[in-house]
Amino acid sequence: MDNILTFKNVDGGYGRVKILHDLSFEVRKGEVLGVVGPNGCGKTTMFNALIGLITPTAGEIIFKGKNITKVSANDRARMGIGRTYQVPRPFEGMTVFENVLVACCHGAGMTEHAGRPKALEILKLTGLYEKREIMAGELTLLDRKRLEIARALGTNPELLLLDEVAAGLVEAEVGEVIDMVADLKAAGYTIIWIEHVIDVMLKATDRVMCMSDGTDLLIGEPREVMESKIVTEVYLGVEDDE
Amino acid sequence: MIKNNARSKTSTIITIVVLAIIVALIYVLAFTGVFSSNLMRILLNICLYASFAVMWNLMAGYAGLTSLGNQAFIGLAGYACAVMCTTYGFGIWVAMLVGGLVCAVLAVILAFALMRMRGMYFAVATWVAAEALKTAFQNWKFVKEGAGMTVKIKPYPTNAEIFALAFGCFIVCMVVVYLLLKSKTGLGLKAMRDDADAASSIGVNIFGSRLLCYVVCGFLTGVAGVIMYISKGSIFPGGGFAIDWTIKIVFIVIIGGIGTAAGPVLGAIIYTLLYEVLAQFAGFTNIVLGIVAIVVIVVLPKGIIGSLENRFKFEILSQRRKSLE
Ligand SMILES: Nc1ncnc2c1ncn2[C@@H]1O[C@H](COP(=O)(O)OP(=O)(O)OP(=O)(O)O)[C@@H](O)[C@H]1O
Ligand SMILES: [Mg+2]
Repeated sequence: MDNILTFKNVDGGYGRVKILHDLSFEVRKGEVLGVVGPNGCGKTTMFNALIGLITPTAGEIIFKGKNITKVSANDRARMGIGRTYQVPRPFEGMTVFENVLVACCHGAGMTEHAGRPKALEILKLTGLYEKREIMAGELTLLDRKRLEIARALGTNPELLLLDEVAAGLVEAEVGEVIDMVADLKAAGYTIIWIEHVIDVMLKATDRVMCMSDGTDLLIGEPREVMESKIVTEVYLGVEDDE
Repeated sequence: MIKNNARSKTSTIITIVVLAIIVALIYVLAFTGVFSSNLMRILLNICLYASFAVMWNLMAGYAGLTSLGNQAFIGLAGYACAVMCTTYGFGIWVAMLVGGLVCAVLAVILAFALMRMRGMYFAVATWVAAEALKTAFQNWKFVKEGAGMTVKIKPYPTNAEIFALAFGCFIVCMVVVYLLLKSKTGLGLKAMRDDADAASSIGVNIFGSRLLCYVVCGFLTGVAGVIMYISKGSIFPGGGFAIDWTIKIVFIVIIGGIGTAAGPVLGAIIYTLLYEVLAQFAGFTNIVLGIVAIVVIVVLPKGIIGSLENRFKFEILSQRRKSLE
């Protein structure tokens, strides 16, 4: 199977604080890769490195066969990497519609004219259509999470990065998100999905990677990984924090 | 939908026609001598300060570049004007063009040198750059060192003509910013204003957008600077590159409303009028301006226009993209 993404021995962090250590893994085209790991182990940091908000101090990131380690964040977005933020970061001074329109225009390289219908289509898909003229700063948390997904989709990504989009949602809502991701996968997106919810990992992913202390601890079949001894141990070690 | 579209087109046309009539009227009034020379001077200052402020607002209010060094453009433009007119005998149009271009080049240099810095560091670095230019001009024989230069133009433009230039410059600044924000780049600028990292992760080219804003700001601040020095008639390094320029500009934008289209204009009007009134009470000017700034910041944190727009849900010269058009 083709790999769409490869992390090769990546080190990186913020300033002098090193978070990622020798992180290596592959993502296959068309799969949903789940990522689990205790709080603060570097999952979000891995996304930051992947989209170019931080530059690795060592190692390589290969996307669609190209070394993108030194490519700028905006170019990576245009190459087809779209991400959501764990703590939503909407453009608060813009409407919901405009938030998605920026992504269509700049990430997918569309003209405003072509971007409009595309943005509306994505808003329908993510359940934000009725709220399209509301200022993004006024949205509830659930809608902000929806907007994160909508904006990422606006860039027309091939690889979609979801950072705890189901955290804090009630069970029925989690079910909705799982269905939505299944639809996206069926539509051909490759997805990396960080989540602490075990149910998500078991129901919605093809493979799961467990990270610990900035590195890849174990990667494999969802049930195997979630039930493996090392993974439960890493989690048990910090469970009180959750 | 179609109806809506047609209505918005008609209202755009009406707005443009009304604005054009106002502009024409101001020009006619200026040249028929209805304005006293005092009034003309006040209007001239409003136009030039508004131009400076609109440009500073483009950088600080949209591109996230809070510069404390825009006096570099004003001083450099003043010298470009004096050198072009006095030393080489060119007219005002050449002076304005050269002033703008020289400042645009300076903007490119500053952008590449300083834009990796953020926030306070960038602000201070731009100030330091302006101070360095001041020192360089104080010691440069060609521009008469600290003695400064006079601007000689034959025949020297009348007050009405200088006002006309300033007014035109102001209109151009407004139109350029309006068109820029209306473009795809402008859509990205608004996203950047709210969250630059998030904007870059959906494909907005932050460096490119900032560079563009810096260069536009440099060019048009330069053109306005040339007109300012045509009206003053002479330039000295101490005055041309003084931080005072930027302090005034920041005051104007903050009280008017940063990141709004009309804020810098209202701010410039308030500043110029206050300054006129306060001129009678020498020594109190800065104290009063300081108090005004503090009161506005406390009572209306988004500036006068910004707070009014928020409170009453409207937007002057709005570039909001409606979802159905
Ligand atoms: N901008 C930053 N600057 C400095 N340190 C940071 C920054 N962001 C995160 N960190 C630190 O990096 C480490 C890894 O954080 P990261 O957000 O990647 O963890 P995570 O695995 O996503 O955790 P969680 O499950 O809580 O989201 C943490 O110790 C965190 O404090
Ligand atoms: Mg995280």
